[in-house]
Amino acid sequence: MKAVDSAAAGSKWIKKTLAMACLGASCAGAAMATQAAGVLNLYNWGDYINPEVLERFTAETGVKVNLDTYSSNEEMLAKLQVGATGYDIVFPSVHMQDIMATLDLLEKTNINQSAGFENIDTAHLIAESDPKGEYCLPYGWGTVGIVYNKKAVPELNSWKEFFALPGQGKKIVMLDDMREDIGLALLLDGKSVNSVDPKELKAAQKFLLEQKPNVSAFTYDSIPMVQSGDIAAAQWYVGAMMYVMEDPDTLAYVIPEEGATMYQENMCVLKSAPNKANAKLFLEFFMKPEISAMNTVQQTNGSMNKAAIELLPAEIRDNPSINPSAETKEKLQIFRELGKGTKLYDRIWTKFRTAS
Amino acid sequence: MRSFTSQQKQLLLLLSPATLFLGIFFLGPLLIMAVYSFLEPGLYGGVEWNFYHWNYGRVLGWADGFYEEFDIVYLQILLRSAGLALVTVLVTLAFCYPVAFWISRMQSRWKSFCIFLIALPFFSSMIIRLYAWILILRDSGFANQILMSLGIISEPLDLMYSGTAVIIGMVYIFIPFMFLPVYSSVENLDPKLIKASQDLGATPFTTFRRVIFPMTLPGVVSGCILVFIPALGNFVVPAMLGGAKVVMIGNLVEQQFLAARNWPFGATLSMVMIVFMLLVVSVYLIRAMKNPQHS
Repeated sequence: MKAVDSAAAGSKWIKKTLAMACLGASCAGAAMATQAAGVLNLYNWGDYINPEVLERFTAETGVKVNLDTYSSNEEMLAKLQVGATGYDIVFPSVHMQDIMATLDLLEKTNINQSAGFENIDTAHLIAESDPKGEYCLPYGWGTVGIVYNKKAVPELNSWKEFFALPGQGKKIVMLDDMREDIGLALLLDGKSVNSVDPKELKAAQKFLLEQKPNVSAFTYDSIPMVQSGDIAAAQWYVGAMMYVMEDPDTLAYVIPEEGATMYQENMCVLKSAPNKANAKLFLEFFMKPEISAMNTVQQTNGSMNKAAIELLPAEIRDNPSINPSAETKEKLQIFRELGKGTKLYDRIWTKFRTAS
Repeated sequence: MRSFTSQQKQLLLLLSPATLFLGIFFLGPLLIMAVYSFLEPGLYGGVEWNFYHWNYGRVLGWADGFYEEFDIVYLQILLRSAGLALVTVLVTLAFCYPVAFWISRMQSRWKSFCIFLIALPFFSSMIIRLYAWILILRDSGFANQILMSLGIISEPLDLMYSGTAVIIGMVYIFIPFMFLPVYSSVENLDPKLIKASQDLGATPFTTFRRVIFPMTLPGVVSGCILVFIPALGNFVVPAMLGGAKVVMIGNLVEQQFLAARNWPFGATLSMVMIVFMLLVVSVYLIRAMKNPQHS
């Protein structure tokens, strides 16, 4: 009996082990399967991609997309500089792309040879480090203009009118952003928003100091305050159109006639990317006109995909704030990297913010 | 050499995980900051491993000779932050001290309920609570609506984005930090001593000055330090309720690490702030060592 018992126990043990081994093997198989379809890790600005685009990508390719967000170019760069890895695609502004190229952080993707690149407006290949689009794919662009409450201000067309509002007892706010505010002062003075000339910057500082008592706040959280009428007008991004379309009787967004700063972000694959093939797959996926258009509709920003622009609903395609005329585009200026000049901006900004 | 008693060994064993944890995750980063504060800033953030002596001088106003003129702007910012922290300390103390006496005389179940109420804000994020204050303070907010419907004011008050809003927000955030230590020393006050003072003919004011206040002083001092230190580095309240019209030392550090991409100077400012705080705390520690019965 005892021998039988132990034999039975032995066979049980073998079965168990086999089962475990099978389980292990199938687990390994499953792991391999997910790895084949794989994952893609995006590192993007907050709320800067239509979640539907990611769902469609996963549905079509089986690649699972993880999204992590940052709130400034510098935050993203700092994180990568201290050795963060695992991200595949980042969305730097053009001047940050140039810095990242200098630091050798970007992977050459040859995306300009993929099908669909012929739709990309070459006027938007503006990164100095990547004039042909061999590295990054232009993603989205927009302006920094004025969002205003139509009940407080029936019509607003210029920065001059914007800065005159406090004199009429109406409140304005500006962005809490060094480059945007100094850039705006330079632009209104007819200078380059990338000037590192101490004289021009002193004049910009003087202009900002004159405006400071009239500006209620420096903040990014302007939309709710403009919508409620507590603030009449705010310097803000074209993304405000999202709110304007929801509430067109109250809100409006305008690119002022003096011009404005513009921004552009590109999709770049990192040299340290663990899933380079999937990353390129995503870039190619995003070049499809219907996908690009789907993103633009949700983001209410500018598109560089000529075929996608054709697909946009008229309210976006023909909207002069989102898709401005060539004449307006002439008056837009984009930020460039300042190198050591950053120190000058930092000092002017600190001095301006400290003044009471 | 004195050998450890078993009690001391036990204590050592119990304390070592916490010490190790703090040593690695608190002192380690602090050491990195200290080293960085003597290095040259990298052009795109990060550091160059060269000794760089401009950082500390810059705090005091010295220019680097290329881009800057002599200017004590950073000292001004530090002093302004200290001023705001001090006002926060004084207002929270003025509020918490009498309330602590009031609550300590309540029936015990009301007592616990009130302490629960004071600690309640810790259960939600500070940012969310500050957004609620925006809804209260803005021109069309609850405060102005109530005052206007009561007929006290006819035009909305300019509460939002003002110095008042910043003080309200700071006091609101830091009240629990002041209340809890003050309350614990008030609660431990021996009523017999007060009685004795009265029996010996002291006036209520003298009793307060000679008996009550000195005995609650340790709680007051702990409360002041607990409020002062985080208030000094707080920049969220001035940014959200004050409209970021003034720079606090906390903003400045953030600006150096991000927009200005000058990590060493950010590290230097942090070190200066730490030294400043250590000075404040050491004043308290020296006091406590001189009068051990009060600590």
